[in-house]
Amino acid sequence: MAKYIGKRLLRSLLTLFIIITIVFSLLRLMPIEGYFENFEKLSSAQINVGLRQLGLKDPVPVQMMNFWKGVMKGDWGVSHKYRVGTPVLDIIAEKIPVSLKMGLAALGIALLLGLPLGILMAHSTRTRFKIGDKLGTVFVVIIEGIPAAIYHLLIQFYGSKLPGGFDMFFRAERPVTWILPIFSLALGNIAYYAMWLRRYMVDENNKDYVKLARAKGVSGGKIFRSHVFRNAIVPLAQFIPTSVILTLMGSLYVESLYSIPGMGGLLVQAIQRQDNTLVQALVLIYAAISILGLLVGDLFMALLDPRIALGKKEGDR
Amino acid sequence: MDEKPILSAKDLELKFTLRGKVMTALRGISLDVYKGESLAIVGESGSGKSVFTKAFMGLTDANGAITGGELWYKDQDLLALKTEAQWRKIRGKEIAMVMQDPMTSLNPLKTVGWQIQEAVELHQGLKGRAAHAAAVEALRDVGIDDPERRFRQYPHEFSGGMRQRVVIATAIACKPQVLICDEPTTALDVTIQAQILGLIKDLQKKYKLTTIYITHDLGVVANVADRIAVMYAGDIVEIGKCEEVFYDPKHPYTWALLSSLPQLGVKGEPLYAIEGTPPNLFMEIRGDAFAPRNPKALNIDFVERPPFFEVSPTHKARTWLLDPRAPKVEAPERIRHLKEEGVSLRVQ
Amino acid sequence: MAQFRFKDRKTEELAAHLNEHSKAMDEKELFSFAAYDAGAGERGGYSGYSYWRSTIRAFRKNGVAMFFLLVIVATLLFTFIEPLLPYEKEPNTIYYSEQVQIDLFTRQPKLDENGEPIVKVDLSRDIKPGKEYWFGTNAIGQDLWSQIWEGTRNSLFIGFAVACVDALLGILVGVLWGYVRKLDFFFTELYNVFDNVPQTLVAIIISYILRPGISTMIFAMCLTSWLATARFIRNQVVIIRDRDYNLASRCLGTPAWRIMVKNLLPYLVSIITMRMALAIPVAISNEVFLTYIGLGVPLETPTLGTLVEAGRKVMSSPSLRYQLFFPVVVLAVITISFYVVGNAFADAADPKNHVN
Repeated sequence: MAKYIGKRLLRSLLTLFIIITIVFSLLRLMPIEGYFENFEKLSSAQINVGLRQLGLKDPVPVQMMNFWKGVMKGDWGVSHKYRVGTPVLDIIAEKIPVSLKMGLAALGIALLLGLPLGILMAHSTRTRFKIGDKLGTVFVVIIEGIPAAIYHLLIQFYGSKLPGGFDMFFRAERPVTWILPIFSLALGNIAYYAMWLRRYMVDENNKDYVKLARAKGVSGGKIFRSHVFRNAIVPLAQFIPTSVILTLMGSLYVESLYSIPGMGGLLVQAIQRQDNTLVQALVLIYAAISILGLLVGDLFMALLDPRIALGKKEGDR
Repeated sequence: MDEKPILSAKDLELKFTLRGKVMTALRGISLDVYKGESLAIVGESGSGKSVFTKAFMGLTDANGAITGGELWYKDQDLLALKTEAQWRKIRGKEIAMVMQDPMTSLNPLKTVGWQIQEAVELHQGLKGRAAHAAAVEALRDVGIDDPERRFRQYPHEFSGGMRQRVVIATAIACKPQVLICDEPTTALDVTIQAQILGLIKDLQKKYKLTTIYITHDLGVVANVADRIAVMYAGDIVEIGKCEEVFYDPKHPYTWALLSSLPQLGVKGEPLYAIEGTPPNLFMEIRGDAFAPRNPKALNIDFVERPPFFEVSPTHKARTWLLDPRAPKVEAPERIRHLKEEGVSLRVQ
Repeated sequence: MAQFRFKDRKTEELAAHLNEHSKAMDEKELFSFAAYDAGAGERGGYSGYSYWRSTIRAFRKNGVAMFFLLVIVATLLFTFIEPLLPYEKEPNTIYYSEQVQIDLFTRQPKLDENGEPIVKVDLSRDIKPGKEYWFGTNAIGQDLWSQIWEGTRNSLFIGFAVACVDALLGILVGVLWGYVRKLDFFFTELYNVFDNVPQTLVAIIISYILRPGISTMIFAMCLTSWLATARFIRNQVVIIRDRDYNLASRCLGTPAWRIMVKNLLPYLVSIITMRMALAIPVAISNEVFLTYIGLGVPLETPTLGTLVEAGRKVMSSPSLRYQLFFPVVVLAVITISFYVVGNAFADAADPKNHVN
């Protein structure tokens, strides 16, 4: 097990290294306006001086070395547009807490609502009219079929009209304004978990060992708990990374929609204001979180499935 | 054999509904199984062998229903069992099952011991340490070395043959009366097959089990069975003691089945194969279901279903050929002298 | 005497013949040999299996999916037909009305210095849906109805383009990946690295670096998405390559390419169809999102994304809400249709679901 974790950790670091390098190379192509506060007013000589000061005229390998050194030391450059002269890490650090709280809350709610919904649907497939399954499927199709941007918008618009003091905009000190964005963020994952849990549970129900358990005389409830649900939840762990990504990307839209002072809204603003260093830093952080999500998912799997740590199913993903 | 049967089916009819169409899987099948005996049900895939035995455990798939006949376990009318809870008193405790593929019939995420203990706790009312001991004992019973250590291992740490031993241990751990083995060796290597069959035979003696084998492998049958029932298209066409069915078969289907034994092949000649495919069970079958594939079918085979004709008190077959009015038809040449030639049907 | 029936016509005829005559048959005839028809046993069984016939049959049984397929076909046809219809408005034209100013006293047209009547130009802005403008006009006076269809055309074009590139590259690389063992390591590592990066993020970076436009958007969305298709194809190739019956087939001398064509082709066609159907809603969704953060296509090319974004900006005033409502409904109908049809097709193409 320890060996597996070590290997897996090493691989994640390697992936992160490669991705950061690629992002670095790509971002050398960024429009140079993004490095200056008032690009239009500068002469070309001034621009050249500025670029040299930023080290952007150095040979690429030197730039790469400096970039890596900076990343390691925690010196990720300063903002050129969003908040001139402030280190981007300071700006980001200030935005992380609210994003983190929202993301975790959304993931938690998704599990809390998505799993029971999936169980309900799977159960319903064995009843006569399958009403629960049909209704659930309609819900899943609507959420998965309609672009998230659309339903986020509609939830904001119609949700804010509901009684109870919901608002179109977020204010940290008013807890009720947290509800709509968190629910919006969770919705995609609710549908996602429900759909897959249902599918896996239906699959499990047809497995030989479930049939054997019935033949052993094990009761339906116990089969469900210790065989069907227990086994269906394992492959679901591999969706942890996807749902983290889903939440991250959702947060870009939701945060700026509700004016939430978080990382997602920050990235949108950085893009709109063309602040290169800020975009670069945020992209790196997002990539790192995605990789972390994948790592957590894999470790979860290894924890839940005794076959994986032994390397029997490696490369199966 | 005039004692009361332990398991009994009378004119059992079972139908499946599949996308609006009705499939008759069992067409009025009757069978008596007696205590302590070992019966083999032989037939092609799709002849209804598994469906038949599953009916004894109330494990018919949700889209299937018994539409006629009777089903008895000792004095218990099985068709009177309505709820799952009632069935659970039979399943595992009275009638246990070993399934075909040991690779898939164990939950990969639970230790082997847990899966045996699950059954033990359920049916023997044991808890904790006692249940653990009983499970270890069951493992030892099926010839697994170092059962204490193996108890804590996962199925993927076992080979195919070992897993089938575990499945058998799970079945016998509850001390059932009847053991149904659904193709217990089909998925195993030939060398392991004999061991597993030997194991089941030993356990049968030790615990005085009644065993029912489902198989399409006549070699397996010859090895273990006292009696053979040959099934075709949802009905038994011939039943009798092992020697009777092998050495004096009466039904044309049994002839065809025996003719296709690879042991009878002559070098350089193609092996015998039964022409055609089994009938589509979605269609209504009248007369003898095998008639369209039988080159020697009589006109009446297409008109009326043959009754059982008794060949001996223990041997009967459903074929018009046994009717006194029928022309005399001999069994095919190649299977007529199985006994004299002493063709070895045993795999050991 | 019982009626009896068999499935195929020839046996049926025989049975009918017997039915008719069985009453007349005496015992002797009943117990004589019947004519043996070697084919009867074969015909009485199951009909020949055809992958495509079964796939189509399984799909057609799915009423909901058939309905949405109809919606897709109708939408596609209409997007092409619409600009050809007479009296259709131009999507990019800004409409206005001219009004000659009337002098209140003389009740004559006001004249300017040159003696020409003074004409006041009124932009047809924010006109509610009606007879003239079916879906109304937008904030600068463009006809929303024709804009929506132009936008649908553009959005579907983006979707189809992404799906095509995705399928082409995916299949090419996937087959190589699965078939050439030496490449397996390289591509697997490549996949492991890029599978970790959210596609939306890639699209954001690319759109940020390059000039916004339809081709940028297509490029940005294709850049890494084909890897997933390739991975899928690779797995199929490996499975097919290593299946026992194919090994047996190879031992019998069947050339490898023939096995691939026979076994892989049906898979490929169904994968392309399925991924096409599922890539379109994703592409449209990405497009809406990129437009929102300001990385979308320029305004002169209407897409469903730009229309939704334009509608969003005015959604707080109830009288203009139709500008959000119409694009959203059209977009939702299209994406849901493709999503449902894609999934239904995937189910239908799975041989496991071909049992009767």
